[in-house]
Amino acid sequence: MHNKNKILLVEDEAELAASVSKYLDESGYVCTHVDSLKSAREILKNKSFNTILLDLGLPDGDGLSLIKEVKEKDYTTGVIIISAKDALSNKVNGLDLGADDYLTKPFFMPELNARINSLIRRLNFEGNNEIVIGSLKVIPEQMQLLVNDKNVDLTNTEFNLLLYFITNKNRVLSKTNLADYMSSNYHDYSFSDDLVYTHIKNLKKKLEKAGSEDYIKNVYGVGYKFIDS
Amino acid sequence: MRLTTKTGLSFISASAIFFFLGSILMYFSVRIILAEDLKDRLLDMQSNFISNLSLIDDIELLKNNKVFITAQEKYSHTSFTDTVLIKSGSYNLFRKISFSQYSQNKIYRIEILQSQSQTDLLIWRIVILNVGLAMLFFLISFFVNHLTVKRTLKVFYSTISRLENFDVSKAESLDLENAEIDEIMKLNDVFKQMSSKIRTDFDEQKEYTENVSHELQTPLAIISSKAEELLQSNHLNEFEMKQVGIIMNTTNRLAKINQSLIFLTKIDNRFYTDEEDLNISELLNEKLSFFKDLIDEKRIIVTLNMDNETDIRINKYLADTLFLNLIKNSIMHNIEGGILEINLNKDTLIIKNNGAPIKGDSHDVFKRFFRTEVNKESLGIGLSIVKRICDLYNLKITYGYKVLHIFKIKF
Repeated sequence: MHNKNKILLVEDEAELAASVSKYLDESGYVCTHVDSLKSAREILKNKSFNTILLDLGLPDGDGLSLIKEVKEKDYTTGVIIISAKDALSNKVNGLDLGADDYLTKPFFMPELNARINSLIRRLNFEGNNEIVIGSLKVIPEQMQLLVNDKNVDLTNTEFNLLLYFITNKNRVLSKTNLADYMSSNYHDYSFSDDLVYTHIKNLKKKLEKAGSEDYIKNVYGVGYKFIDS
Repeated sequence: MRLTTKTGLSFISASAIFFFLGSILMYFSVRIILAEDLKDRLLDMQSNFISNLSLIDDIELLKNNKVFITAQEKYSHTSFTDTVLIKSGSYNLFRKISFSQYSQNKIYRIEILQSQSQTDLLIWRIVILNVGLAMLFFLISFFVNHLTVKRTLKVFYSTISRLENFDVSKAESLDLENAEIDEIMKLNDVFKQMSSKIRTDFDEQKEYTENVSHELQTPLAIISSKAEELLQSNHLNEFEMKQVGIIMNTTNRLAKINQSLIFLTKIDNRFYTDEEDLNISELLNEKLSFFKDLIDEKRIIVTLNMDNETDIRINKYLADTLFLNLIKNSIMHNIEGGILEINLNKDTLIIKNNGAPIKGDSHDVFKRFFRTEVNKESLGIGLSIVKRICDLYNLKITYGYKVLHIFKIKF
């Protein structure tokens, strides 16, 4: 799908950084971790990255200044802010300065992965992005799914769910994570497990009807896994 | 009862009692004085009569309509009595002196009358004049007193109204007028100190909440990421996987509560200040389509009766949150095949839906962490956020239950 996208993680919490690096490495990226703005600037002098994950509360500055420098150097470098502060001002400020996305801590790894994926797709828009897995062909920009070259009609929720599964294929996606993803982080609201189940059931039914293999497996009632092998 | 009314009333009643008793006392005093005066006059008339009698021999000549002379056997003492004469149909009160007098070796009983109607009239005139003057005095002093108290208390009343409108969560500080009365000045000073103390405490508490909430986010992120790592390791058994699932779920729940608290704090801190005119029916339709799957899933029957022209001036983010929470609430707590009815006109929005009646007071639905046992996914913050946003824009929101849950917002 992509020839090893390079990611720079600027994060001072060592444990969090370790988990993020591990997840992203296993998802097929090459993740480099630095823990300060100074080191980030150092490394950016010699290397280029597809995406920078930037924590705002760094010991040597708030990280916002780095966004402009990165974007001036190469606008196709994606910047995703990951911060404990979900202050709207930070969001707006960060996005105004050229950040492409904003993720509030705590976040789910599959969610981060999906955001990076979608950002890389957006920034390298030239070719028509298609994801082909077995008999499935997914065209994210047009929200289209083809099974054995035949169009399958999915609702928006179902399509997003499928794309989320494919982006995080061979990973266990917990029900909590799926419910959170589907309810788009609205206050005091989470899709219930039942509803997650219903949507996945409907999606599976449609895929099966179109003649696709059964990719989405239940994992001990904890969550689901898209298995492409 | 207002202070001026209260002091006025005490003044009125005290004066009324005083003047009433005073008038009675004066009436009798004047009567006694005048009676003495009448007695003196009658005695004068007696001595006149006696001196006149010495000049003429025939006692009968001294008779007239005020002097009655009758023959008497025995000598009797001088006495005073009241008597009534009927003259051309009207009663006339007289004071009478009776005494015995020798004249040409005979004893005569002499009675001299003196009208009392003149003195009575005089008494009444004096009493009326007195009462009139008293009333006048009393009215004048009442108004003077009333005006003085009112003017003196003007600052006091302005202090009260400012205290009433003081809201610690709002930006305006308590600004009290300067008073010329020492006590009120002192009172205002105390209030100013108190309000600034309350405000400082309130701000500190808000800051504390916000800081704690923010500081919690990073540890939560680490827990969540570690749980995720465990979930992805391929060698956990079913039991272990389920435990990890519970950790993830709980961590997520904690993070959600935390974010909601941060959000509430931000509303309080007037963080969302940009306002724009937004169309309510558009917002509602947008939110309904967001929950389309859920509505279909529960087979909820949606009835819309909306005026498409109604706008509201509000912050976009808060409006989204407000209407999303209301719609979400009406769906989440709804029953299979239940009703969701939305009525919107120029000044009112009414959202009705099926659902089990709540336990406890209907005001409680807006309280933080209020939850029905039926719904475990709810954090119990949504409606308190709704209430807070309504309060911020002075929208009156009420909840009631009549077969359906009914939320009403007045714009």
